[in-house]
Amino acid sequence: MSLLAVSNLTKCYRRGDKTIAAVDDVSFHIDPGETLALAGPSGSGKSTIARLVLRLIEPDDGRIDFEGSDFLALSGAALRARRARLQMVFQDPLAAFNPRATVARVLDDPLRVHGIASRAERPRRIAALLERVGLIADLAPRAIHEISGGQRQRVAIARAIATKPSLIVLDEAASALDVSVRGEILKLLLDLQRQEKIAYLFISHDLGVIRSVAHRVILLDAGRIAENGDAQTVIDAPQSAIGKALVAAAPRLNRTLMRLASAGLD
Amino acid sequence: MTTLASIRDLTVTYRRDSNEVAALRSVSLDIANGERLAIIGESGSGKSTLALAIAGLLPGSSRIGGRIDWFLPSSPPSGAKAPPSVLPDISPSRGEIGSSPAGPLSASLAMGESGDKGVISPLEGEMSGRTEGGLVRREVRKSSLKQSYIPRLGRDIGFVFQDPSASLDPVMTIGKQIAEVARTHLGLTWSQSYARAKSLIERVRLPDPDSALRAFPHQLSGGQKQRVAIAAAIAAGPKLLIADEATSALDTIVQAEIVALIRRLVTEDGMTLLFISHDIALAAELAERIAVFRHGQLVELGMTAQIVGAPAQHYTRALLDAHIGLDTRPLLDRAGLHA
Repeated sequence: MSLLAVSNLTKCYRRGDKTIAAVDDVSFHIDPGETLALAGPSGSGKSTIARLVLRLIEPDDGRIDFEGSDFLALSGAALRARRARLQMVFQDPLAAFNPRATVARVLDDPLRVHGIASRAERPRRIAALLERVGLIADLAPRAIHEISGGQRQRVAIARAIATKPSLIVLDEAASALDVSVRGEILKLLLDLQRQEKIAYLFISHDLGVIRSVAHRVILLDAGRIAENGDAQTVIDAPQSAIGKALVAAAPRLNRTLMRLASAGLD
Repeated sequence: MTTLASIRDLTVTYRRDSNEVAALRSVSLDIANGERLAIIGESGSGKSTLALAIAGLLPGSSRIGGRIDWFLPSSPPSGAKAPPSVLPDISPSRGEIGSSPAGPLSASLAMGESGDKGVISPLEGEMSGRTEGGLVRREVRKSSLKQSYIPRLGRDIGFVFQDPSASLDPVMTIGKQIAEVARTHLGLTWSQSYARAKSLIERVRLPDPDSALRAFPHQLSGGQKQRVAIAAAIAAGPKLLIADEATSALDTIVQAEIVALIRRLVTEDGMTLLFISHDIALAAELAERIAVFRHGQLVELGMTAQIVGAPAQHYTRALLDAHIGLDTRPLLDRAGLHA
C-alpha cells in the first residue's frame, strides 16, 4: 500500500474577480522509502502541493491518505500525533527557526512536544541526532544564527528526523546551499532514506538534482500534471511541452564544452 | 583587445561587530573592452564585493584599498591629470558627487572619515552609494582606493541586482523609472526620455510596451521585472553592465530567457559584461572568460573552455565536480527499492 496517496487535489486562489487553480485535479502516490520529485516553473503549483500535503493550507477538493488513514479528516490530538510522522525541511532554515534559539532548543522542541524523550533523556538524544546528521555535539549550545548555512540545514534535517517520520517534505531544501555543501546534504538525505526507509516529497526547480536523487518525478504546469514517470527516463527524454522546455533551459557544462571545442576548430 | 578597467591589489574589509573581515584580498584583474567576463564563487568568495567595489556601491563602513584604472571613452588618458575646471562638484563635507556634469576625474581621492558605523555587509543594511531617482550619491568612506576616474553608476556602469522587486520603486511607473535614468544621464527632456523608455521596453521584449510604460512593478512577473531592471540599467548606454546573480531567483526557463536577453543586448550595444554567479554551468554558457573566486581571492582566471575543460586549480576542479547536471551520474543507488 502507498504511504501517501493524493487524489484529485484542487486548490484555487482568488485574484481580483478571477479564480485561479493553483493545483488542479492532481493525483499521485508515494511508496515507503521512495523519493517523488515535483518540478515545474514558478507558479506551477509545486509548493502549493507541499503545503496542502502538510496541511498548512486546506484544499478546495480532493483526498489525502497518509499511512492508511484519511489525513484531511484528522483533527486535534490525532492530527498532532500523525504529524510526527510527516516532517518538513524548507529552503531557508534561518526563516524556519527562531534565529536566537540554540541548536539544542530547536531539537528539544519536537522531542518534548511529541513526548518522545523525557527531560533527563533529551540531551543525550539531541547529541545523537546531531551526530546522525554529521554534526558534533558541541554545536548544541550555539545559536542558530551563528552557525553556517550548511550546518543549519543539517540541524533542520535533525529536527525533521527527531520524530521518526515516514515522510519528509523537502521544499527546495538544497537549493540555497553552496554546491560543495549541497552534495553533502543530498548524500546525507539519501543515507537517511536508506537506513530509516524515509520517503521524500522532493520539491525542486533543479532537474539535474532531481535526476540525481529522485526515483520518480512529476512535472507540473499551471497546476496540472504534465508528465509523470521514472526520474531519469523523464528527464533524459521528456515528452511534454513543459518537460522539453525545462530540459532545454537547464545549463549544461558538457554541451558548452562541445560548443567551445567545435568553435575552436573553425 | 583593449582594456576597459585595470584592477590592481583591490582589498576590501568589512567591520563585523568589532572585527575586521577581509572580503577581498589583493585582487588584480583586467576587464577587456567588450568581453563577457564571469565572476564565479561560493558564498563568502568576494564575488559580489568585487561587483560593488567596481560600481562604487560598497557600504560606508568598508575599507577599500588598491587601484582601479578606467579606460572609458569619457575618462582621461591613463596618467593624465584632468584640468580642475572639469572636476565634478564635490562637497567635501558631505562627500557627495552631484549629478552636475561630472567630467573626467583624475585624482587619487583622499577620502575622509566615514560617518556610518553600522553597516556590516553590502547585502544587509543600507548602501552608501544608492541610485536615488537616477542620481548617484556617494558618501565619504575610509578608503585608500585610487581610481584614475570615478565612473558614474547609470552613465558608465549599469547594475542589475538579484531581486528586481528590491531595486525597482514600487510606487513609480515602469516608464518613469526607465525614463529618469535617461533624463538624468543623457540630459534629455521628459518626452524624449519616455520615447527612449518605450524603445527600451521593446528591446527587452516586454509585451504591450504602451501599457508596460504605465504599469507598476507589482503588476509584472519576476522575469518581467528583471527585464525592466535591465532596461533601466542600460538606459543611459553604459559601457559596462554588471549583473550580480541577476537570474538566480528566477526559474530555469525564465533564467534562460534573461541570459539570452543579456547576451543579445550586450552584443548589440557593444557593452562589456561582468556576470556574477554561483553557477559555473550557467556562467560557462554566457561568458568568454571566467574568474574563479574563493575566500576573497582570485583563484583562477582563464578562457571558458580552459576553466571548464582543463582547470589548473584544484578548487576549480572541485567546483566542476560538485556541479550536478543533466548528465551527471546520479547519487541515488537505484538497485533494490523500486517496484
